[in-house]
Amino acid sequence: MKIDSEKCISCLECLDYCPVGAIVEDAESVMISQDECVECGVCLRASVCPVDAIYMPAESKTYPRSIRAELSDPGVQIPKLRQGGRGTEEMKTNDVTGRYRRGEFGMTLEFGRPGTGTRIAEIEKITKTLCAMGIQIEEANPVFYFIADQKTGQMKPEVLNEKVLSAILEFKIKEDKLVEVVNALTPALEKVNTVVSWGLISRVAEDGTIPVLSRLKDLKLTARPNAKINLGLGRPIVEE
Amino acid sequence: MSHALHRYGTVENLKNDFTLFARTSRWVNREGGGPKLRKILDIILSEKPLNFGSSKYGKNLMSGLDLGEFKTTLDDAVGVVCCFSDRESFKRVLTKLKEAQIGISIVVSGLIEEVFNIAKEIDLKPHTVFLSLGIHGNKELLPDGKVLEITSMCGHGLVATKLVKSTIKKVKQGTMAVDDGAKLLAQPCPCGIFNTDRCQQLLELYLP
Repeated sequence: MKIDSEKCISCLECLDYCPVGAIVEDAESVMISQDECVECGVCLRASVCPVDAIYMPAESKTYPRSIRAELSDPGVQIPKLRQGGRGTEEMKTNDVTGRYRRGEFGMTLEFGRPGTGTRIAEIEKITKTLCAMGIQIEEANPVFYFIADQKTGQMKPEVLNEKVLSAILEFKIKEDKLVEVVNALTPALEKVNTVVSWGLISRVAEDGTIPVLSRLKDLKLTARPNAKINLGLGRPIVEE
Repeated sequence: MSHALHRYGTVENLKNDFTLFARTSRWVNREGGGPKLRKILDIILSEKPLNFGSSKYGKNLMSGLDLGEFKTTLDDAVGVVCCFSDRESFKRVLTKLKEAQIGISIVVSGLIEEVFNIAKEIDLKPHTVFLSLGIHGNKELLPDGKVLEITSMCGHGLVATKLVKSTIKKVKQGTMAVDDGAKLLAQPCPCGIFNTDRCQQLLELYLP
């Protein structure tokens, strides 16, 4: 996003709306730091500019910068995947897709969430850890297409410095891999220079319990008291 | 995306915070799903949700979403999303959705214990759970926890820390009413899962 300096009257109304604090004022004017802006479009949609000085320039839609809007503005479609949003259907439709079966866990690492944003280079630190363990990154997630080498987890050089509001690494593991993966990820995540919201997907047991909760406690990973729950109303239902 | 999962807060202030997402699958039931989604939307509206919206449309009910126009977009939408701040309305919506047997996946977020209790009361069997394992990495970058409780109500992270802080300042100074503050903060969240009732309660802590 940019501010047309010819139009801007420095009223500062837009300043508070930027989720990554990219709108800055100097002695002369108000501008959007092009390095920090994630192209989420909040400043534009807020419609607070009295002179319509905020706009999206053509270069925001050119690769590699285009990935900023694709991963930051939920209204922008990701062309390669023909879908909006930063992730996949994951467990939202698991009752009809059976994507996560009993004996498996889904994992998501959302970089830049909450509220800090992330450079793609930070994600690479973890794709390298996961690929070294032989873990397959989810193909239906946009982050998959930033990876140059699926064996090493190395990202394409042109995307490394791009900044997005958040990006999700999704993958699946067998239940018996949980300890190994948590023990590898916990120290690796401490070296990342952004925040990461970690999620785990599990089938609810036949008796209505969530057995993985106690296993997580043993691994010193406490699940928050709130969660997202698929209620099993989709049809035809996948029971396995 | 993980959307409504990582809402930050205490057991006490998350108690009346429920989101609901009726979601089609592109692999199973997206095609021709429009009439089903409209039926689901009508059921949701019958129990007066606090808010709902559309990321594709870029607006929520509180930022000027036109309901009639929105309904016409459901033919190629992935789903319908909304939030509730009242346990009983939320339970009635789930009961009606169960009885209607529409066949579209229904995903909710809330306190695990509370949602499982509601499911038990209306004889629903939760299928899959998505747990939040907390925030990792460089936590020094995070704002104050009280600010996070508000910003994290937008799953796409579109509510700015600065906007929350300036709203809190105005509430403290008595220049902005808490309900106006909550509505202002809900606007950047196009999906409409920002719970304004909860936000209002959180802002009330700053009243002079």
